[in-house]
Amino acid sequence: MDYEKILTEQLDQVMDGEDIDGIMDKVSQLTEGISDEFTMENILQSTLSGESFFQNQGVIDSLKSLMLYEIKGALILGVEVLSICIIIGLLKSLSDSFSKKTVSQLSLLVCTMVVIGISINSFRISYELALDTVSTMVYTMEILTPILIGVLLATGAVASGTILSPVIIGAVTGFGFLVSKLILPALFLSTILGLINCLTEKNYVNKLAKLIRNAAVFITGFLLTVLTGIITLQGILTEASDGLLINATKYSLSSFIPIVGGFTSDTVELFLQCMGAIKSVVGVFGLVILILMLLIPLLKILIVGGVYKLTSAMVEPVTDGKIADGLNDMGTSMISIGSILFFTSLLFILFISIILKIGGGS
Amino acid sequence: MTELFIWVKNIFLIIIALSFFQILIPNSEMAKYLKFIFSLVILATVLEPIINLVNLHV
Repeated sequence: MDYEKILTEQLDQVMDGEDIDGIMDKVSQLTEGISDEFTMENILQSTLSGESFFQNQGVIDSLKSLMLYEIKGALILGVEVLSICIIIGLLKSLSDSFSKKTVSQLSLLVCTMVVIGISINSFRISYELALDTVSTMVYTMEILTPILIGVLLATGAVASGTILSPVIIGAVTGFGFLVSKLILPALFLSTILGLINCLTEKNYVNKLAKLIRNAAVFITGFLLTVLTGIITLQGILTEASDGLLINATKYSLSSFIPIVGGFTSDTVELFLQCMGAIKSVVGVFGLVILILMLLIPLLKILIVGGVYKLTSAMVEPVTDGKIADGLNDMGTSMISIGSILFFTSLLFILFISIILKIGGGS
Repeated sequence: MTELFIWVKNIFLIIIALSFFQILIPNSEMAKYLKFIFSLVILATVLEPIINLVNLHV
């Protein structure tokens, strides 16, 4: 029996081609072409032939070159900031030779504002990248979850499918909305406040910036815990009733229908297992896409954040502590944005793996 | 969220303006008191959303 052909056909029937192409386009844009290797067909082929689907050196090479490119770009930014900070240090030591302090102080203020301008600009790029990533993740989940739930229903997990579908879609949409409308903007505001703080001699808004940032990170962690808890508990409960349903069906088929009952029961089981294989393919596709979608933006953001921390360490001997603190705060904010991206994709990955776990091979 | 962005923009502008003023004011006895008044202005700006919130519910 040519089961490969049957599975491929079934997969085509299950998937809505245009939607998946839409996902692939968006993800490819976000990951700069690295995700192109991981199509659903490739994963199915390698599953059927029993090979690892992650075997090409090309992905690692392009990842490496992308990383080097990003590091170079971020280092240029760091050097820009560093050179302005050296000028600031020079002005500070020159200020004693001016008769009036006012001129040197004004020039210091202007130089600091240039540093702030450069930093906010680069932060905005990372912020928009994070927003884009979150919206693409939500879009992917909104398309993949109905497909996965459909296949889940076909494997016989009726109770899980009906209960999990609205819960997961609601959680994904709600979490995506909160992250892109509340948490990431709050981090952006906290960064701006932290940067204003290095303009003035006194700390005016330092604590306020820290408060906003901590609140944003806390809300994310809280939501993550609650949502994961709800979904996991639901999964455990409904899985038991699914098992009951399937076993009752198989048992009644084989024992109440004379002669052909046994064959029918076996056929039903084979069918369920085939659907299980398709479910794993769709799920693995989703997981790979989500991980790639997380990996590349996270890499970019963390590299920029690390360069800010590095610059802050370099700058400290030449300027006053204020600017070094501001740059350090920038680095921390970047890393917070990265961690919120990570939390978001962790939640989505957990959702997919919970669906995968339920009624896997039954 | 737009209101929050406007709030942060206000804080930003006021702090920049006040730090310019602080540099430009002549060095006299009054400078200390002026600085204190400036920080009161910043406090009022920071408190603005909370004041609005309180007024909303009364």
